[in-house]
Amino acid sequence: MLFVKNLSVVAVTTLLIVSIAQADEPSPEDWFKAGRKTVVDAMHLHPNVRHAKNVILFVGDGMGVSTITASRIFDGQQKGGHGEENSLSFEKFPYLALSKTYSVNQQTPDSAPTMTAMVTGVKSNDGFLSVNHTILRSEPSAGVIDANKLATILEQAKQNGMSAGVVSTARITHATPAACYAHTANRDWEADSDRPAGATVPDIAAQLVDYNISGGIEVALGGGRARFLPNTVTDPEYGSAGKRKDGRDLTAEWVSKHSKANYVWNKAQFDAIDPNKTDHLLGLFEPSHVHYEADRVAHDKAGEPSLTEMTTKAIDILKKNSNGYFLMVEGGRIDHAHHAGNAFRALSDTQQLAAAVEAAVKKINLEDTLVIVTADHSHVFTIGGYPVRGNPILGLAQGVGEASPTLDLLGLPYTTLNYANGPGYTGASNQQVAGSKTFTTPVTPGWASGSEGHTPTSYSAAIGRPTLSKETVEHHDYLQESIVPMGAETHAAEDVAIFANGPQAHLFHGIVEQNVIYHVMAEALGFTKHHDHHDHHNRK
Amino acid sequence: MKIITVLKFTVCLTIASFSLASDADISNGQVLPELACRYEMHIVPQDKSQTEIHKTWYFWRTANSVQTQDADGGHGEIWQRSTTGNIQYRKLYHNDKTAVEYMPADNASNNISFDWIKLSSMLSQQELDSLKYVKKSEIMGKRSELRTGKIDGQSLEVQWLVDEKLPASIIRKDGVRTVELRLLDIAPLLTTQYKPVSVADIGNYRQIDATDFGDMENDPFVKKLMAVEGQHTH
Ligand SMILES: [Zn+2]
Repeated sequence: MLFVKNLSVVAVTTLLIVSIAQADEPSPEDWFKAGRKTVVDAMHLHPNVRHAKNVILFVGDGMGVSTITASRIFDGQQKGGHGEENSLSFEKFPYLALSKTYSVNQQTPDSAPTMTAMVTGVKSNDGFLSVNHTILRSEPSAGVIDANKLATILEQAKQNGMSAGVVSTARITHATPAACYAHTANRDWEADSDRPAGATVPDIAAQLVDYNISGGIEVALGGGRARFLPNTVTDPEYGSAGKRKDGRDLTAEWVSKHSKANYVWNKAQFDAIDPNKTDHLLGLFEPSHVHYEADRVAHDKAGEPSLTEMTTKAIDILKKNSNGYFLMVEGGRIDHAHHAGNAFRALSDTQQLAAAVEAAVKKINLEDTLVIVTADHSHVFTIGGYPVRGNPILGLAQGVGEASPTLDLLGLPYTTLNYANGPGYTGASNQQVAGSKTFTTPVTPGWASGSEGHTPTSYSAAIGRPTLSKETVEHHDYLQESIVPMGAETHAAEDVAIFANGPQAHLFHGIVEQNVIYHVMAEALGFTKHHDHHDHHNRK
Repeated sequence: MKIITVLKFTVCLTIASFSLASDADISNGQVLPELACRYEMHIVPQDKSQTEIHKTWYFWRTANSVQTQDADGGHGEIWQRSTTGNIQYRKLYHNDKTAVEYMPADNASNNISFDWIKLSSMLSQQELDSLKYVKKSEIMGKRSELRTGKIDGQSLEVQWLVDEKLPASIIRKDGVRTVELRLLDIAPLLTTQYKPVSVADIGNYRQIDATDFGDMENDPFVKKLMAVEGQHTH
């Protein structure tokens, strides 16, 4: 069997990490014992067949299997080990399946139909948020959207008297969180000003705040402040104008329409929130996406909570409801770092997602809470060459017994991590000179913008490959080489992993369509009978 | 479309400079007059097989904004300084009524710190100070200083308009190319015939965060941007 149900890697990890900490390689006996212990553990694993009181769905946006593997090594090397033996928190979950991520109309999908599949149980088209694929892209009519909307697990949780929350490092109106609470045929209609004239379907930010089932959504934490503020109001942190043309200040409305409600936009305010005294918390920590984890503490002016801090605060607010809760947590910027062709930020954001999962699991009871960790889609990110065990994951590939990096057939060193396409292509771009590319476009000599990352709109053909040094490639701003020049690196179509623990987690097995994730959550929460009625109503 | 020639405005400019002085931000110890300029840029690569580039563009400066625009009016850039001291940077695609925004969270992580003096004067105070004063002169009827020297391995020759705090010309040379920037027209912003697109109009443009390009593979604007500009080098 290609991948293993009932997988337990705790024993292996513990054994191997202990060995490395002692600077001893595991002996052949150690490997054998660890392997055997994994099987013994699996034999003692008993499926939790209870109904779930709570469900937490973690989504690493763009967190493909290669991203998880590289992040595991990255994290392990930071802990002082070789890295390969390490396990991210969710890799220790006992149940695993693979998810087929294609959408109704795309071989390689985007985050909108993939999250729609996960939270509604139905696959849809690119750009669609929790509406079925039979309508037009960018359908402007609220009536048509309403007639074709798909009930989400979050909505069903609310209808069943549970609490609900969404947490993300992306804008809270971005595709992944938005699919949980909004219905629209254009994922980009995040504020009213993003919609074309005449569109009657409400924008995504308004759908979040106007959400009316059972007193509204309890927790929404992430980025995207500008789309909640009118263009007559300036941003409290940066002074830039809000993006709403309808004059609505949705942050103020959040506070006025909900009971025991708070709105926060910086870490000090966030830290001051007492979960016992707050029932509805809106936290918007940047005008658009929040910082990458690698930059958060050093660069953010007003201070932002980490994904871990947002997750644990959300749980503390949601868990007050004796009927349970549904929480979605997205590591939203893994995807952005990959699109930028910058492995370092993708790996450090994945590491932070793993930390959030670990902190959540410590807070909850796995007897009554189903925890799922998955990705919406993958990226064209590869781990290659034949580097020696423990070779720095961001470094040049250097083989077993070699004193210097392995050379390609041009006589040049290469990195372990690469992208099949994207802005790391080494020809001259309209923003950076020929050779290695960096996340930062250096300020150009002479008066010019020099005020952005590397999102080129044109390239010249590369001549050969650059000569890479250890210092260049291990720099946090280095963009790994790509074969096909593109302004942004793309998603990839291979399957992604689903890790699960808690009630009904064992229902994840084999290779499944991505929409199965919804059906496991619905089964665990006992919505399936209830759902059959909605099924008929909503999915004609 | 040209900015009205400068000679007619010498007197106006003097008045405008004084009247605007009170509005201009002086937090950096500089009082910058609000101006509309037209510049010509000429890039000559050392490698003769590469093509020379000629470009004319507009430059508008207020106390808290700098805006540029290509001569054909299609593309521009705007930097706005807010009351919190932050600078919002957007690329403008006027034909598509679209502004592409480069967000602070990404700019900060990119270690980009905007030097407002450099943005609004094209040279930082430090760069200017590092150039050697050669002689006084008068260009377009304005007080000017010739300054020369080396910055970051490039040799520079600058004609600096002392009162306007802008270059009348900059010639930069390195081993790769010569970049010549030359002022063609200059006028007070209040009286210029060629106005920038207003901030209010830009506010009504479609706003896209550049970070989102990777997820906008089917967006007509993003597709066009990549495809059209991609052809330039072929
Ligand atoms: Zn993406």
